[in-house]
Amino acid sequence: MPDLRALPALADRTPLVSHGIRLSPLPEGTVLQMIVGPDAPDQTANVERLANESGLAARPLSPGQWLLIGDKPTRRADMKHLLAALEPQASGIDQSHGRVRMRLEGPMAVKVLAKGTAVDLNQRAFPPGRSVATLIGHIAAHLTRHDVEDFEIAVLRGLAEACWIDLAGMCEEFV
Amino acid sequence: MASLVPCPHCGSRPKEEFTIKGAALARPAPDADPDSWFHYVYLRENPRGAYEEYWHHTAGCRRWLIVCRDTVTHQVNTSQDAAAAKGQAA
Ligand SMILES: [Zn+2]
Repeated sequence: MPDLRALPALADRTPLVSHGIRLSPLPEGTVLQMIVGPDAPDQTANVERLANESGLAARPLSPGQWLLIGDKPTRRADMKHLLAALEPQASGIDQSHGRVRMRLEGPMAVKVLAKGTAVDLNQRAFPPGRSVATLIGHIAAHLTRHDVEDFEIAVLRGLAEACWIDLAGMCEEFV
Repeated sequence: MASLVPCPHCGSRPKEEFTIKGAALARPAPDADPDSWFHYVYLRENPRGAYEEYWHHTAGCRRWLIVCRDTVTHQVNTSQDAAAAKGQAA
């Protein structure tokens, strides 16, 4: 049996830090996608309750879809329970292997992001606590605003390094 | 300009986030005559003015939308969720 070792997608990336900006990889913990069936009633309350119970954050992805995100990996048995918890109204898909997260924070964070995305980053249009799905450059990303100058970016694993390099380039003038 | 498309779920987004399928036409019945199907599959109007198209918000909410835009001014007049427009749940 070959020795298969899981390597984080951004394992060899050290945080990029300056007074104005900080770009850092986030732990590859738990990412669970929840999709509500086309005829099911609104599941917002159920999804949020499930996330609360399991120590995950429920972040809207699209109408009837959420990402449930946590810093720690979820045990196999717990994951099995989570995936089936809202059946038949909603189905879960384990995406812990599939999405990689990074964090962009600091007074220049908005200026950096504005180079890559056309989402309105004004606080009134995009207040803290909100998530959006958008493009950063050519890469589809899920963007969450934790605080005015604190963003989390989740991208598909295969694009994580490219997204990091793009963001690092956008940060360059502030480093 | 049509380069900013209002998504009913995500708000104003650049056209780069979308994929355009083309004219939003009513699909014929499965057993409709071959002429109706030929028209549906191959023949397109090229109107000067209001035009309804299916747009997919590929890099956003990934919902199919029906976007009505003016082919002369590029003004987007309406934009709605295609499933909601058909009376299905969003
Ligand atoms: Zn959208």
